[in-house]
Amino acid sequence: MERSGHFQRRNPSHSSPSSSSSTSYRQSAHSRSNRFAKSAPNSVGRRISGHQEPEAAKNEPSDPPAIAGTCPFMCPEEERAQRERLRDLAVFERLNGNPSLSSPSLAVKKFCRTITSKQVRASDVRPLPILEDTLTYLLNLLHSAKHPFEVIQDFIFDRTRSIRQDLTMQHIVNDRAIRMYQKMVKFHVISHYKLRNHSSFQDASSLHYLNLEQLTKSLTSLFDLYEVNRSSNSACENEAEFRSFYVLLHLGSNSQLMGESLSLWFRHVPSSIMRSKEMCFARELLRFFRFGNYKRFLNAVAAEASCLQYCIIEPYVNEDVHDPHLIPTAAQLSCSIAIIQLQCPAPRVYWEEFNIFET
Amino acid sequence: MAHVSMGEAHRRIADYLNRFADAVSYQDGASLKKLLSLSSNSSSLLSLADALAVFHDSNRLIKQSDKFSHLAEILLPLFRALHSYRIGNLVDSYQSYEKSANAFIQEFRNWDSAWALEALYVVAYEIRILAENADRELASNGKLPEKLKAAGSFLMKVFGVLAGKGAKRVGALYVTCQLFKIYFKLGTVHLCRSVIRSIETARIFDFEEFPKRDKVTYMYYTGRLEVFNENFPAADHKLSYALKHCNRQSEANIRMILKYLIPVKLSIGILPKDWFLEKYNLVEYRNVVQALKRGDLRLLRHALQEHEDRFLRSGVYLVLEKLELQVYQRLMKKIYIIQKQKDPNKAHQLKLEIIVKALKWLEMDMDLDEVECIVAILIYKNLVKGYFAHKSKVVVLSKQDPFPKLNGKPVNS
Repeated sequence: MERSGHFQRRNPSHSSPSSSSSTSYRQSAHSRSNRFAKSAPNSVGRRISGHQEPEAAKNEPSDPPAIAGTCPFMCPEEERAQRERLRDLAVFERLNGNPSLSSPSLAVKKFCRTITSKQVRASDVRPLPILEDTLTYLLNLLHSAKHPFEVIQDFIFDRTRSIRQDLTMQHIVNDRAIRMYQKMVKFHVISHYKLRNHSSFQDASSLHYLNLEQLTKSLTSLFDLYEVNRSSNSACENEAEFRSFYVLLHLGSNSQLMGESLSLWFRHVPSSIMRSKEMCFARELLRFFRFGNYKRFLNAVAAEASCLQYCIIEPYVNEDVHDPHLIPTAAQLSCSIAIIQLQCPAPRVYWEEFNIFET
Repeated sequence: MAHVSMGEAHRRIADYLNRFADAVSYQDGASLKKLLSLSSNSSSLLSLADALAVFHDSNRLIKQSDKFSHLAEILLPLFRALHSYRIGNLVDSYQSYEKSANAFIQEFRNWDSAWALEALYVVAYEIRILAENADRELASNGKLPEKLKAAGSFLMKVFGVLAGKGAKRVGALYVTCQLFKIYFKLGTVHLCRSVIRSIETARIFDFEEFPKRDKVTYMYYTGRLEVFNENFPAADHKLSYALKHCNRQSEANIRMILKYLIPVKLSIGILPKDWFLEKYNLVEYRNVVQALKRGDLRLLRHALQEHEDRFLRSGVYLVLEKLELQVYQRLMKKIYIIQKQKDPNKAHQLKLEIIVKALKWLEMDMDLDEVECIVAILIYKNLVKGYFAHKSKVVVLSKQDPFPKLNGKPVNS
């Protein structure tokens, strides 16, 4: 469930702790990356002095009721009409390329940061079956060869965020939510890889960063869902792999983005998951990497990494070989040669085949 | 639940109300705190709960008397909380108690001295405990647990109330510690940063003024944070402080501190004696210490595996894993010493092959490349002084102090 600041419950000036603050994201990637140029406000920092006046917060209900959405389309009619008028339609939403005309089968609800549950009408929120169909529709766009990846990614990025928002507002936390979150995480993992490697778009690095932020958020929410559904073991068969993504994201110095350290996170992972093949693999990789044992690292990656795991690991494979800090002595040259001779082939990543999205 | 007559119920409730009002009028913090500690299951509160199950008109009773009508906003939700707690409706008990606590804080701000601080501590404690209960209930009903998080927000407000110039400010550290416990439980420890900043940098706070018990708890938690972030010198300082000032009688607390202090000490090259580990029942570290002493990599790996769950739960697993480097150093040193005994002139030239062999004896299968890599790392991290004669696959060790000790400093990263 999204823990971002838009889901305010108490005293609005006293935002609930969230794992990272969110800034509002508009449709075009250009303005998104502009926003990234300003530093994101730190909601935690506002509580530094602790001089909060305990206000009329006691009059607010501590439990906003879950909304039951009734919107039958991928996009609420009113929003679609408004965006047609304002010509605020993404390229995928335009009927025959017309920038001011859409249709119920093309328009998809946008993410809106400033919405709180109190202001929202049931007719604007999509129920679970519609959300599932919307997600399927969105992910199918990845097939599209007509547009560059960044454009597709940007659209899906925003629209899936709106899906998560609808799920949160309706307090949907069952196994179907798990399946949806898993698909969205997979999307972000693949984007993580593609934005890094294939992007010629000039603001790719900020897109990459923002994608990583959402990847982390969705992962964290997914873990919460696993916990909630712990007693009914239905949708948790893939949990181990998704948990391993979290570990692999900690390879290297990117851990700043993670917030809390891995040690802390391990405490809350069930033992059975810790002992799974995927988690053991991830932890071993982490150990080899931290130690600097690039030989075992590369061998293990070649032998055991799944496609999706490799998407996350890949930047560190290159870093490992070229980073002078890891091979600091006179042995540097010879060791590099040794690595090249290892000839560990990267597993080919078949994201074009949507096996990845079937579960 | 014992059945109570209407008359008796009325009497008990009136009695409680009188005691509450008296405690407030006479500024009797000790009495007041007992009336607020819901989860203590004291006999008086239990009997009150029984009365509340029968007598449903407390509202009128409270509002009609001048003596307690001004305390209605505290008392009414408090009664509801108690009743819910008794019948096992834990989510509601938290919600109602929070309402009551909120009203209590408002009154607290207006009271002059810090007489009610003990009562405030109880309220802070109860908020946390009841929230934990509520979350357990939510989770068992397949819902997202969110009350502990709300408790955290609430206690931040309380912290704000205490962060002022008056005598009440010494209470801030206790509330801080409750917040730490919440954030640690939730795993959102990054939220500790803002409170820590307030405590450590705000001019109104003088750390020495706080009660000792709270200082120890504070240093324990902040020390643990340093462990999680692998800042070993800072962790050593804080956890050692906690150990030094901890009550000698509370062995359980000492053990808790040591659980974290020992991996820290190991990481800076200080090994505890075996009797020490035994005394505080920290036997899970025994083999780790042995492995470090002997340079026995296999033993280290085995020890980590044997107590994996425990080390993962406490969050020291990754710290202990890092000790591998020191174990390698010890192994190399031993090989060097043996060689020195055989032929002192050539001892400083260590063939990589020999290390491979030694590792094979330890059932660790590594080839020449890997060993070379490991030795390169040891050199880089200043655990070994020397260089490679790569073609001959030999490490040439420095003639002076080839295996520098850590001396209280962590391994270079």
